Amino acid sequence: MSVFRSKFFQAVLILVVVFLLFRFGIRPAAPWSVFTLYMFVALIAVLVYVSSNGDSWRSFVAPIRATVLDDSKRPIRLVLMVLLPLLFGYYAYTQAAARIEAPAELRAIHPAPPASISFRGKTLDVQGLENPLRKDAPNLKKYVAEGAVIYIKNCMYCHGDNLDGNGHFAHVFNPPPANFTDPGTIAMLQEAFLFWRIAKGGPGLPKESTPWNSVMPAWEDRLSEEDIWKVIMYLYDATGYQPRRWESHAAVPSPLTLTLSPRGEREMRGSSPPAAEGEKFAFSSPPQGEKSVPSSLPQGERTQVRGSGASLVSAAWAQPAGDPAKGKAIYEQKCLLCHGEKGDGNGPAAPLLDPRPRDFTKGKYKIRTSASGRLPTDADLFRIIAEGMPGTSMPGWKVLPEKDRRDLVAYLKTFAGDAFKEAPKVSDLPKEVASSKESLARGKEMFEAIECNKCHGNAGRGDGPSMPELKDDWGNPVRPANLTKSWTFRGGASAREVAARLVTGLMGTPMPSFIDSVEKPEDVWHVANYVKSLGPEKMDFATILPVRAVQGEIPDDPAAKFWEGQPPHHFPLAGQVIADPRNFNPSVDMVTVRAVYSESEIAFHVTWDDPTPSKPDPKAKTFADQVALQFATRPGEGNERPYVLAGDGSNPVTLLRWSSEGGVGEASATGIAKITPRTGEAVKAKGKAVFADGQYRLVIKRPRGGADPNDLAFPVGRFLSVAFMAWDGGAGEGGAKMSFSSWYYLRLEEPGSNKPYIIPPLVVLVTAALELLVIRGARRRTHGG
Amino acid sequence: MRQWLSVLCCLALAAAVLGGTSQVGAQGGGSIVGEVKFSGTPPAPKVVKVNKDNQACGDEKKSEELVVGANKGIKNAVVSVVGAKGPAPKPAQKPLLDQKGCQFQPHVLLLPAGAEVDIQNPDGVLHNIHTFSTANPSINKAQPKFKKVMTEKFEKPEIIKVQCDAHSWMLGWVVVQAHPHYAVTDEGGAFKLDNVPAGKHKVEVWHETLGKMTQEVEVKAGAPAKVTFELAKK
Repeated sequence: MSVFRSKFFQAVLILVVVFLLFRFGIRPAAPWSVFTLYMFVALIAVLVYVSSNGDSWRSFVAPIRATVLDDSKRPIRLVLMVLLPLLFGYYAYTQAAARIEAPAELRAIHPAPPASISFRGKTLDVQGLENPLRKDAPNLKKYVAEGAVIYIKNCMYCHGDNLDGNGHFAHVFNPPPANFTDPGTIAMLQEAFLFWRIAKGGPGLPKESTPWNSVMPAWEDRLSEEDIWKVIMYLYDATGYQPRRWESHAAVPSPLTLTLSPRGEREMRGSSPPAAEGEKFAFSSPPQGEKSVPSSLPQGERTQVRGSGASLVSAAWAQPAGDPAKGKAIYEQKCLLCHGEKGDGNGPAAPLLDPRPRDFTKGKYKIRTSASGRLPTDADLFRIIAEGMPGTSMPGWKVLPEKDRRDLVAYLKTFAGDAFKEAPKVSDLPKEVASSKESLARGKEMFEAIECNKCHGNAGRGDGPSMPELKDDWGNPVRPANLTKSWTFRGGASAREVAARLVTGLMGTPMPSFIDSVEKPEDVWHVANYVKSLGPEKMDFATILPVRAVQGEIPDDPAAKFWEGQPPHHFPLAGQVIADPRNFNPSVDMVTVRAVYSESEIAFHVTWDDPTPSKPDPKAKTFADQVALQFATRPGEGNERPYVLAGDGSNPVTLLRWSSEGGVGEASATGIAKITPRTGEAVKAKGKAVFADGQYRLVIKRPRGGADPNDLAFPVGRFLSVAFMAWDGGAGEGGAKMSFSSWYYLRLEEPGSNKPYIIPPLVVLVTAALELLVIRGARRRTHGG
Repeated sequence: MRQWLSVLCCLALAAAVLGGTSQVGAQGGGSIVGEVKFSGTPPAPKVVKVNKDNQACGDEKKSEELVVGANKGIKNAVVSVVGAKGPAPKPAQKPLLDQKGCQFQPHVLLLPAGAEVDIQNPDGVLHNIHTFSTANPSINKAQPKFKKVMTEKFEKPEIIKVQCDAHSWMLGWVVVQAHPHYAVTDEGGAFKLDNVPAGKHKVEVWHETLGKMTQEVEVKAGAPAKVTFELAKK
């Protein structure tokens, strides 16, 4: 009993509870610095509490004194004497060996707009500027509808179908694209502010908003004044928000009373729902939905109505069927722009998408649990609507209430005529086989026997010999999956889902069903396990590129063992969509970079997947394969950088690049269309690339510079900037048609830092010495006094 | 007169039903013989370069999309009597769709509705049977090298395109018959439809690249009716 009354115990208990609360109770997790600050405050508070009076203090100190002095506590004392120094030593080690992190950047999210802007030669006063289309009351609906088409053809890739800043390019960029459904964005802004942001984009931001980091293009060259106003109207209409106005009384009604708020947690693409036993696939977490109320409510005060949220876990399909009439209304708001009014996959956005949106009229669906040639079950359709299709522009629609998704399922089926009258024939998944050494060996054997490599390539990178000729049932070219990137698997990344794809095939594509054509049914599990082993479980993208110091010569050969020993850093790429020709479906979606430096040189080892090594060929419409590393030619003050797409007029960039045609070269650029190759002695980079099994590896080296102030320099310990670009010439990428990354920091690590090996032992020694001093001092006082 | 006609029709129908066993001209049935010819100058046959599995598939494949013989006869056209009734006769042997040498053989396979067909892969490489149908389930099944024979069944009458995605040049057709009166033209474009009930019929020809055409034919018991189709490039 006395233990609980002990102030010492209470203090420890309070600290533990506070620790757990701060560490695990706050979502998203608080940064470490904030966390330590909170813990420090809690510690002070506890100390104040225990020292509030003499008795309390004595009660607090008693156990400590006893441990230090009592002979009976000798074992505990000895254990603590050893444990505490080790603990501190370990902490010191984690600190000394900590990986460098990108420096924090502060940016103004909603900077003050300029008084006026020049738009296509015309001066527009931003202050007091109003949306002229709002005055044309009879046509509001039409403008919103046109705005939606403009949005889906230009903005959706980053800002998402749901307007939640979660389009399929969004993960590539930092800062992330704006989430319009967040009450902190368009709901608190005037339309004139939006006009300015859309027209002038990232490059038009003031310095405090770090314009060099935003990839938001300036849309003034591509969209007309009216287009921009239309898309602004769509943004407000689709989110149900109202723009801020100068006069607060005149509330103009939004043309359509809306809607379903597309707010929601970002769905982790590549994550997969847990599946129940047997062939029936269960759904992930109970669906939740949020509904926005009509937009007449004050801004930012939208009530949230929770969806029914009934648990679906493995309840199969006992749920009542949806209502197709209601589904139609939702379809027209959420699906029509891609899938088309008739459900034939021919919406206004369709020509820009690859893979193209599903044509529902044929009843052919890729991701099913039903046998080859058979229609999907309702549960299959529901699953795809909820989860979306990773690696495509189809997002998950968990933002819609579960009931709405059911109604959509019912409506989709009506597009295929009478086809769905037949009950779907569900295909059985053989009994699960866990991954093991034996299973992987069998999987590899079967992978080769059933010739997965024909399309997917020997290493699974989607580079098989049949790859260039593959077409879907609609005659569109279709790329075989890159099996090393399971987070892009359309039907989910788990071994169960891969096995299900092997069993059922992907209808409408060249991927056949294998259940009748493996030696034993369980072979589909072995192959699935093997496929899973071809690539990493998930992809952790880097935030910074550390460059390691090495001694001596850096190997030129990209295949040299040396490079395998260097830590890889992965950087995502997105398509370039502002300059013509636009690239909505980039072929290269990431690069992996290893970087080292020596006394005189810096070297980058770049790895990227490309199904074919290609050369320029006007007949085949192919170009050279290329990759480029981009650096600011003049590193600016602080973190200033040129605009990420090859710089801008006053801020040039230097490109270190490689092309399958000309090898390694350098170029200066002041914009995507203003790239000037360097020639002769100005080119200091050299390097070499190798290609194997659908993958390029490149080493590109350059002197670290420093002598010439106009040349690139790579000094140790400074945060420099780097960005990446790639072109798959075989996929018709060349010139502006390419993929690119955000800016990243690059830092040359201090050479051979031995801090992690010196500081921790010192800490251990000092702690142990202090302990001895404290104990000896305390004992001397007690015994002496 | 009318009664006579209906009796005749009944007899013709009976003849059609018994078609499998009865002989030409028996029971008031006749035959239709003829040719399908190409109108105009036939294009040079397409040749596809084989870029994979050369050991099994050879180095090049002649496209069978349009095969025109010496006297402009079109091979692999399907001729049928429109609206004929009755089940197609059970084939004496189980129909076979062979993929030997990475090529569907026959290029056009006649198959009674509901009959099973063996799909054979003697090539020692992966093929996949990818059908494009609307009435029947549209299947896509892998046939790896060790799976020598697969059996499929097509229940509903339809002309079905079959391809192999692993070898993009591989193309074949399965014609699921609605009734007995179907024929495929030979090298010279000739065909023969047996046991057609006497009377006026619409005869249709279908070719995969040249489309369809119909003609009226009068069939008389015991005498072969002659018909010639001329198909042109669309």
